[in-house]
Amino acid sequence: MSSTAQRWSAIVVVIASLLGLAFAGVSTLDYVNHLDRQVHDISCSFIPGVTAKQGADEGCRAAMYSPYSALLRHELWGGVPIALFAVGAFAFFAAFGLYLLLAHDTAPRRSGQFLALTGLTPLLVSIVMAVIAATKLGQFCKTCIGMYLSSALLAVGSVAVWWQQRREAQAQAVAAKKAARAVPPTVVDGEPAAGEKDGEGEPAAKAGGGKQPGPPGRRLGGWALIPAWLAALGAFSLAPALVYAQSAPKYDQYINNCGALVAAPKTPKDFPRLTPRKASVQATMVVDPLCPTCKALDQRLAAEGYLEQLDITLVLFPLDDACNWMVDQSVHPGACELAKAVLCAEHRAGDVLGWIYDNQERLAEAGKAQAGVQSVQAAIRDRWPELINCVKDKETGLRLDRVLRFAVDNRLQVSTPQLFVGSKRLCDEDSDLGLDYTLPRLAPELKVP
Amino acid sequence: MVAGGLLLAGSATAVRNGVNSAAKRLKTGIVAEAKPQVAVAADAEAKYCTPEFKTVLARVIHACGLSGESGRRGCQPADVKSLASISDQEFNELFTPLKERAAVVMFDDNSDVLDQAGKDQVESRWLERKGARYFFVVARASPTGGVDLNRKLSHKRANSVLFHIQDRFHDPDLDQKVGLLWLGKEFAQLGKEYCDWSVSRPKNCTPEAINRSAFVSWVDCQL
Repeated sequence: MSSTAQRWSAIVVVIASLLGLAFAGVSTLDYVNHLDRQVHDISCSFIPGVTAKQGADEGCRAAMYSPYSALLRHELWGGVPIALFAVGAFAFFAAFGLYLLLAHDTAPRRSGQFLALTGLTPLLVSIVMAVIAATKLGQFCKTCIGMYLSSALLAVGSVAVWWQQRREAQAQAVAAKKAARAVPPTVVDGEPAAGEKDGEGEPAAKAGGGKQPGPPGRRLGGWALIPAWLAALGAFSLAPALVYAQSAPKYDQYINNCGALVAAPKTPKDFPRLTPRKASVQATMVVDPLCPTCKALDQRLAAEGYLEQLDITLVLFPLDDACNWMVDQSVHPGACELAKAVLCAEHRAGDVLGWIYDNQERLAEAGKAQAGVQSVQAAIRDRWPELINCVKDKETGLRLDRVLRFAVDNRLQVSTPQLFVGSKRLCDEDSDLGLDYTLPRLAPELKVP
Repeated sequence: MVAGGLLLAGSATAVRNGVNSAAKRLKTGIVAEAKPQVAVAADAEAKYCTPEFKTVLARVIHACGLSGESGRRGCQPADVKSLASISDQEFNELFTPLKERAAVVMFDDNSDVLDQAGKDQVESRWLERKGARYFFVVARASPTGGVDLNRKLSHKRANSVLFHIQDRFHDPDLDQKVGLLWLGKEFAQLGKEYCDWSVSRPKNCTPEAINRSAFVSWVDCQL
């Protein structure tokens, strides 16, 4: 195999690593920006660093806010972003690729073996993350795809380096054998010279041993090189994370400052309760059935194992001016009818709300249609025929009024979702990145899953 | 490895600077982008809630037992006249914007008994509460008959509405919601034009009959 091909493989490793470093870097910086508990634009492009237009960054935002984007979330607000480990790892591989490129023939063959072994790990991690994105999030982020492609390219380059070095060694072994046949072996006290005892050993030594000048051989290198490089890779991967963890701000003073419930429901029977068997912590959740963020919070709490521990009093707060006088225009037309369906479901409120969340896009479209209310009512009738009379009953509207008045009595923000653990409100800023850090601190009796 | 070290150091420095900037913004409260103010849940505030209307409303609420500070229920004609400090025509005009929200429940001559149509009107209006905090019942009596008799009749008509709501809806906070005014015949009589409103007896609506009534409406004003 030509040394030019080896050079190209090393170049591929360097380029893939630098690309991966760029994608992981912007992803990390996006994450870091959000440590101020504000919402920022994020980079979401196949060109690293290009900020996405509003609305075009859902995939990246969903990935960033998901529980799979960071480690140690319970210990640090927001946790340590996984992309940060990728930053260190890609920096290492870029440097290693550069070393192979510059050292060329003097790099030991252990380098190819090491690269083949470790250069695949970013790809393996990428495959795992891609499966999570597909199965758990249902969408991919462009920056993540950039990292997946970089990892794939790195894997290709790494395997190519190893394979070319192997072919080179085999070719050198063959050449050495040919040379050995042409020139009688040097005999020292009846034994072949060192390096000629086995065919797989050091071709350079073999070539140097005979008088025939064979091709210059690549040394194998000692076994200790691999653990040493592994240690270096580990150090590179961990170093940015350690710097991050050390400089991360403290949040305890912020998580308790987002308000509290001051008035209990005057008519408790108007408020559906969701009480799983393991529920041990009182909570109040203000939701609009058609609000995607409410659905996301519900899914997040379920995925993290908190939902089953919460005894939730549901406060239905549709952002629909058909029933809610606090909104100027309907954000989610049709949400009033669906809220009534949840009220009417009584002990099956959780099932009906789950059905609405599962069909949220379809129901939202139905609500926006010209005959919005009728369309939504038809959808309810199709799935829950026993509820439709109750939904249409004016008394159910009055019941919903009373639920909405709970928001007035407590001077709640006109927004959804809102989660109160006990009486304390979970800050909006803590409902995504900081959820795992904040919830157990608001309710110490919550078991960390 | 020098290149690797440089890359690593550069990355770590960028991360640390980013974290420090975020920590500074967090501490100082500097916002990257001004967030829109989030509204706070409150009672409804309709366009008809003019300062004059709210003044009358506030006086009635405080004086007629709705604010929870006194044990009395409702306001008598004399109270209303002095509380409102306005002419009866002006008083009626205040309620004109409630045309779509209100109903006029009509009674038989010399009777305080709600008929079925009247009950239906009361229930239908009560169920349309939405964001309103107060439900007003303004009872009247026609010009025929003596002043005292009409005052009593008007009072009874207001109570009939209140008792029906009580019986029908069992609302524990009724006292804090329903404001009763009984006007007798000496103040703020309704004109024939009120027959065009949502009335319980549209076929028998005369200038006299429209005043044998109780005007019922939720009022969408914050106080």
